[in-house]
Amino acid sequence: MTSCSCRNISVLEGHDTVALEEDYLCPTEANIYNIDFTRFKLRDLETQTVLFEVAKPPPSDDGIDQDHDVDNGDDVDPNAGRFVRYQFTPQFLKLSTVGATVEFTVGDKPVTKFRMIERHYYRERLLKSFDFEFGFCIPNSKNTCEHIYEFPKLNPDEIQEMIDNAYETRSDSFYFVDDKLIMHNKADYAYNGGQQNM
Amino acid sequence: MGLLTILKKMKQKEKEVRLLMLGLDNAGKTTILKKFNGEDIDTISPTLGFNIKTLEHRGFKLNVWDVGGQKSLRSYWRNYFESTDGLIWVVDSADRRRLQDTRQELDALLLEERLAGATLLVFANKQDLPGALSATEIREALNLDNIKSHHWLILGCSAVTGENLLQGVDWIIDDIASRIFTQD
Repeated sequence: MTSCSCRNISVLEGHDTVALEEDYLCPTEANIYNIDFTRFKLRDLETQTVLFEVAKPPPSDDGIDQDHDVDNGDDVDPNAGRFVRYQFTPQFLKLSTVGATVEFTVGDKPVTKFRMIERHYYRERLLKSFDFEFGFCIPNSKNTCEHIYEFPKLNPDEIQEMIDNAYETRSDSFYFVDDKLIMHNKADYAYNGGQQNM
Repeated sequence: MGLLTILKKMKQKEKEVRLLMLGLDNAGKTTILKKFNGEDIDTISPTLGFNIKTLEHRGFKLNVWDVGGQKSLRSYWRNYFESTDGLIWVVDSADRRRLQDTRQELDALLLEERLAGATLLVFANKQDLPGALSATEIREALNLDNIKSHHWLILGCSAVTGENLLQGVDWIIDDIASRIFTQD
């Protein structure tokens, strides 16, 4: 994988209790198609730079995910795989055009009518929503999808509010196969990264 | 109001265009897609599924689908025909050995009912390589002049230098737009 320019950005994955208080609308077992998100990448189209990229380590030879190898069994967080916490710098809120890429793999069954609905909120306000149908996915395939879009226009007051209120910007991603919900992932976001050093 | 009219009106509202990019493996489909969108093209591996990009271009919402071209994947292409407005057929102009294969695959696609209304753009890719056949030579090899069923155009291009990529996409959008978005 190409190295990311993780300048001023950190990603903290899973193991956080805050977002877990809210409900997931389906159990992790609903993903009977073994759809696995393996990469997420965000780039700035204006400067054509990769803002960050995270990739899941490939499964080890024995077929067990490497990130599960160290589990002790007792205190495994069942939602660790479906919650991600991001910390960005305030500059992030001033981007104009971004490209968000997801990469996912599919198990050995064909998938039909694969659809993603994603909503981004700051508190109660809807910032951005996506509704996209991938349609058919080839068995054992690896696929990518990049949405290139204008970043929502925010006024200076809103920007300051979002910087001041870390992790109150949230997103829900719903994935459907044949109109049935098979995955529900959550993320939350802070935009105060690098502040203490300024 | 027929269903088609309603669909056309819906499309008109969002000006959504679906492009399907196909061709033999190693033709350069993914590289074209990435280059067109200003993405790094240094590390591209064979596509074992699809790559989709959604973007705004000239007021249109483009959904571009690049589906892997390996032989084992071609039988799945049919799953992506539905609602396709434009087909971009990518040819490796330096791969003389497989010109017959690419011609046969394209001929088969042009018989597909669900692609009957699609505009066809042929990219004679890899013009930057020495020994690449010209667009005119590819046009003859693929017997494109025989196509009466689809609007079509062939352009020589290079995914590495970016030559003619924008021209090709602009042409296919113009052709689609003149068929779909202006009649009422």
